[in-house]
Amino acid sequence: MKIILLPLFYFGLLFGQDSLKVEIDPCSDPLLILARKNGIKAVGVINIFKYRKLVKACEKQGGELVVQQIELQDFERDYRKSKTMASWTSTYSVCVFIIMTYYFIGLGTATE
Amino acid sequence: MIAQPKLSSDLGFGFYEPTMEGFDKNEEVPFPTKSVLGRNILLNWGVYYEFFSNARIGYSSFTSVEIGKMKFQNSSPVFIRSLKYRLFPLETFFRWRSKIEINFTLAPIWGRGRITVETTPGEKTDDWNELLNSFGDSDPMGDMGSSDAMINDWIGYSGMIGIRYYLTSRIGLDFKAGFLNNSYDRKSWKLFNKKDIIGPELEINELPIFSFKIIYGIK
Repeated sequence: MKIILLPLFYFGLLFGQDSLKVEIDPCSDPLLILARKNGIKAVGVINIFKYRKLVKACEKQGGELVVQQIELQDFERDYRKSKTMASWTSTYSVCVFIIMTYYFIGLGTATE
Repeated sequence: MIAQPKLSSDLGFGFYEPTMEGFDKNEEVPFPTKSVLGRNILLNWGVYYEFFSNARIGYSSFTSVEIGKMKFQNSSPVFIRSLKYRLFPLETFFRWRSKIEINFTLAPIWGRGRITVETTPGEKTDDWNELLNSFGDSDPMGDMGSSDAMINDWIGYSGMIGIRYYLTSRIGLDFKAGFLNNSYDRKSWKLFNKKDIIGPELEINELPIFSFKIIYGIK
C-alpha cells in the first residue's frame, strides 16, 4: 500500500495543477480610478511610482485613451477651478501690477 | 484633492545685476575677479502652500555666493561672500489657458549678507583688520573667535509678475520678472562681539530681478 501511495503523493506534488492566474486589469486599478475621479495629484507622492507603472501597464493593454482622459480631465479641472480669481485675489493682483508698473516707470525715468 | 497643487516646491535660478563697489573698486585689497556665476546668478528654491482659492503663501530663497582668494600683504586667505534674499511671498494666480497660469507676487524680504575669511589662527586678527580697513572701518578688531563671519541683516520687499506653463498637472516651468527693494546699510555689519562694523559698499537696494524655475506639485 505504501509503495502505491507514496509515488502517487510525490507525483501529485510534482505535477500539481497550476494555480489559476487571475489577470488583473491595470486600467481598473483603484489608484487609476482615484486619479480619474479626483485628479492625478490625489494619488500622492508615495504612490507616484506605482501610479506610473499602472499607467504604462494600462497603455500596453490598449488603455491609451483612459490615460489620456485622466490627464486631460486633470488639466480641465485645474483650469475650471482657477480661471477666474476669487474674492480679494483680483484686487491683490491689480495692486501688484500697479506697484510693478510704478517701480519700472521709476527705474526708467531715474536712469534716463 | 482637486485643482492646483496645494503643496508645491520649486528649484531654479534668478538673474540680477548688483553693483559691488566695495569689492570691485577696493584699492587696498584685491578681491577675486567677479564672474557672472558668482555675481549675477542666484540659486533659488522655495516651498508654497495654496491656502485659499487662487492664492499661495510660501518661502523662497535666492542666494548668491562668491568664493576666491584675496591677496593681503602677508597672506592669501580664502574669501567667501554670500547674499541671501529670503522671501515670504503671497502669490495670487489665475489660469489664462488650461496649461498657462499668470501669477502676481508681493513678498517681504529678510536679507542676510555674510563674509567669511578662511585664514590661519595666527594671522586671523591682522587679516580681518586689513579687510575691515579696506572697507573704511578704522576701528580694527582686538580679539577674534575661532570661527567668525561678518553678518549683516536687512529687510526689504519684492514684487513680481510671472507666467507658468504646466508640462503635466504636477510639473510646471515658471518665469518671473520683478524687483528686489532692500534696505542694506553698510554700517550695520556684525563681527564676533562687535556691532556697527563698516562693511563693503553694495548697490543692492533697488534691483530688477528675473527668475526661472521648475515647479513640482507635491500634493
